[in-house]
Amino acid sequence: MKKNTQHQKCLKKDYKRTTMLMSIPGAALYTFFFTFPVCLGVYYSFTDWNKIARTRNFVGFENYINALTDKRFLKAFLFNFRYTILFVLGILILATIIALLLNQRVKGSTTFRALYFLPALFSSVTVSMIFNQIFFRVIPAFGNAVGISWLQKSLLSSKDTAIFGILFVALWGALPMQSILILAGLQTIPYELLEAAKIDGATNWKVFRYITIPHLIPTLSVVLVLAVKGGLMVFDQIKILTDGGPNNATRSLSILIYNDAFKNNRFASAMAEAIIVGIVVAAISFVQLQISNKKSVNA
Amino acid sequence: MSKKKLHKVLVYALLILGLLTVVLPLYITFITSFKSTSETITNYLSLPTKWYFGNFKYILFKKGFWRALLNTAVITAVVAAGDVILMPMLGYSVARRMNEDRKWRGFYFYLLIGIFIPFQVKMIPLVQMMSALKMMSPVGLAILCIGSTTCEATFLYTGYLAGIPRDLEEAASIDGSSTFYTYRKIIFPLMQPIIATSVIKDCLWTWNDFTLPLIILNRSPQYWTIVLYQYNFQSEAGVDYGLVFACLCISMIPILVIYLFLQRQIMSGLTSGAVKG
Repeated sequence: MKKNTQHQKCLKKDYKRTTMLMSIPGAALYTFFFTFPVCLGVYYSFTDWNKIARTRNFVGFENYINALTDKRFLKAFLFNFRYTILFVLGILILATIIALLLNQRVKGSTTFRALYFLPALFSSVTVSMIFNQIFFRVIPAFGNAVGISWLQKSLLSSKDTAIFGILFVALWGALPMQSILILAGLQTIPYELLEAAKIDGATNWKVFRYITIPHLIPTLSVVLVLAVKGGLMVFDQIKILTDGGPNNATRSLSILIYNDAFKNNRFASAMAEAIIVGIVVAAISFVQLQISNKKSVNA
Repeated sequence: MSKKKLHKVLVYALLILGLLTVVLPLYITFITSFKSTSETITNYLSLPTKWYFGNFKYILFKKGFWRALLNTAVITAVVAAGDVILMPMLGYSVARRMNEDRKWRGFYFYLLIGIFIPFQVKMIPLVQMMSALKMMSPVGLAILCIGSTTCEATFLYTGYLAGIPRDLEEAASIDGSSTFYTYRKIIFPLMQPIIATSVIKDCLWTWNDFTLPLIILNRSPQYWTIVLYQYNFQSEAGVDYGLVFACLCISMIPILVIYLFLQRQIMSGLTSGAVKG
């Protein structure tokens, strides 16, 4: 009897020690490459560190106050706000339409699905570079040939339309994934329910409005939050397509922070800007997690 | 009956319209890469009058391209190894201990904080750290990338393991198996599907990532990844659009080939992470 409990103690000890050892490498990498730089960044944001002055003095909230009163920063916020609203609307409407189309029982629907997913596979740099060429050469040439004047100039070269060029490229890359997410949501709706509604004489619109949409709400809320996050952090497409231009019309928050950090060498101000954006994004991500948790409870 | 037919025609029309939007840019990329410089200026949409392989030849005979490919492969392989070796160990330990011990529960939440914090917050200190540690190289970046995959891997793995009952481990333990042996022989094989998901996701992310390589590797051309090579190639090729598109084509081909074989896994892998992450 006694031997047995001792054996159990030994096992318990082995269990505790092994799990501890097994989690060290991953946890150490995470701490070193995530927690540490974030803490360092928060510290920098309270100093006057830049590349020229090699010293670091504590300046309190000065960088934050400067950022929040900086016209460039507010303009970038405004750009992201506009961009995010358009991006989110585009995703929600188009991805739902695409998912509904892919969910139809027609011949070749699996092939369509496979092909529609293609853009999700490529780097946003590749995609942006392809569209860069298309915007600057193919579409204007087409415009010239057909004689439509507004197509003759690149969307990206005017400060009023550049945002739509970026939006199009970002949507092209993001829609496949979001559509497949919504499609997965559609497929959880019981087929009998739809059939029953149709037998009772419900129109297609009524079925969509009163059965499909309520069933899709959890998925749509996840898609919504992902899109909001994507909109607020847009960087790759703008970096390739306009790099913030023309005339800073498409300078997003990410581009502003990147330029302040690596072009203007204003490290501390860039850090303060990054942290303000970080707080906004973190709040949104928190909401996302709540929604995902609720979703898994309901499912 | 005719209404049903009309519905079908409408569905097909819209599906084909969408398909054109997806495929047309890819088609233009493909055909332009086979055109000579003079033809790229005059002919946009039709097939090349003469299939020209000079663009591909030019890139494939350049040393920089192969080095970039190798760099990307190394980074991707290291990240995949992290997903297969380090992350399941961490995920298993956390998944089991967090239900017994409040400290481990706290540790679990600590590992998830990363999901909330956007990249920009750690960007500047990371560059400073990496340069101080002389880690501005593909291997350095790869190790950094493993750190960046921890959050999502922990989330996926602990979620998956929560659905695997502990009976097997307990039985093995009664039979005298050590914890690590049990993990290696019982738990790890059971985790295969979720590990595959994680590997697919992270490999594609690493292969396609732009921002991290941009801040860590862009200054040294010998360290460029494929994406950085493309990004910088645009200025080198200038107005030679055939070259630019050939360069884009080459980087897309490996992914397409893999997609051809693993289409289902890639689709579900990418979307499963998107819901959670």
